[in-house]
Amino acid sequence: MRNVGLKARMAVVGSILFAFYAVAAVVVMGVFDWPLALVVLGSVAFVGVQYKVGKWMALRSVGAEDLPEDRYPEIHRRVESLSRDMGIDKPRLMIASMGVPNAFAVGRKGAGTVVVSEELLRRLAPDEVEGVLAHELAHIRNRDVVMMVLGQGVASIVAIVAQWVVLLTGDNDIADFFLAIVVGQLTQMLVMLFVFAISRYREYVADGDAAREMGSGEPLARALEKISRSAEGHEVDDQVNALCIFGDGTGLARLFATHPPVEKRIERLRR
Amino acid sequence: MTDVRTLLAAVLGLLLGLVCLLAPEAVVRTQTAGRRPTGRDGDYGTDAVPDRWRRLVQVIGVGCLLLGTYFGYAALA
Repeated sequence: MRNVGLKARMAVVGSILFAFYAVAAVVVMGVFDWPLALVVLGSVAFVGVQYKVGKWMALRSVGAEDLPEDRYPEIHRRVESLSRDMGIDKPRLMIASMGVPNAFAVGRKGAGTVVVSEELLRRLAPDEVEGVLAHELAHIRNRDVVMMVLGQGVASIVAIVAQWVVLLTGDNDIADFFLAIVVGQLTQMLVMLFVFAISRYREYVADGDAAREMGSGEPLARALEKISRSAEGHEVDDQVNALCIFGDGTGLARLFATHPPVEKRIERLRR
Repeated sequence: MTDVRTLLAAVLGLLLGLVCLLAPEAVVRTQTAGRRPTGRDGDYGTDAVPDRWRRLVQVIGVGCLLLGTYFGYAALA
């Protein structure tokens, strides 16, 4: 059985998210007198629109274009081979100029897209690029993108319901409107804590899957090392960072991170 | 008599203001996760938050602190 640890964690986090959603659904059914079918239908439509718009926006925002097969035949061939080994359809491959070495996956199994930046292809060796691509393919196979959309959907629905509860039980004065906005944001953050926890774990799983498919975690570890080393110093705005006493890497921000620390990932890949 | 809801607006507003000011990336990620691909910003392997978004959230945080202080004063005065 593959990824038993992930399945167990997903069962726990899924149950917590479902509990949040169930409370919100019961409130909507009670307050607005909506039948269960309408609540479920509305939720599915809400999440569906987020998924579609999110995918479209992600590709549009970086100006991604199809990765030409005549210019990058080796990448297409490797992705085809990795996809076959992973038991998924070959995703659409796209390229974009992002200013930094990066890659990300959108979509789902059977309709996935992997975007790589020109900078990534320039900076990394072919086997390191393959490690990155294997990691992104693992995200598609493990339905990580869909899981994040679902998690955000539940968090948003619970937050919206919490806002309405505050508004409907108040006097509609300015303090109530402010309270509704604040309660909505804090509620969403509370629910997303669980989504982020599982997201960080899913990164390790995708790393492990990529290493297994390639027969070694070394190429992906080297890619992460190379990128993080070159990133030192060019990314962080000192003026902003000075204000962030709970900044990236520590405390509160760490709890809300989608990715585990790069050093830990490298360490695990080399174990 | 102290209005409990106004006091709650003050306390939670101050709390959110502090979070926005001290950990803006937590607020940004809460809003963007699942709506944008994770790891979309910054270098590969990170989930960096663009500086302009951090600053925007910090400005909102200052607004929350001001409103929270005002409602606190209104509730206790």
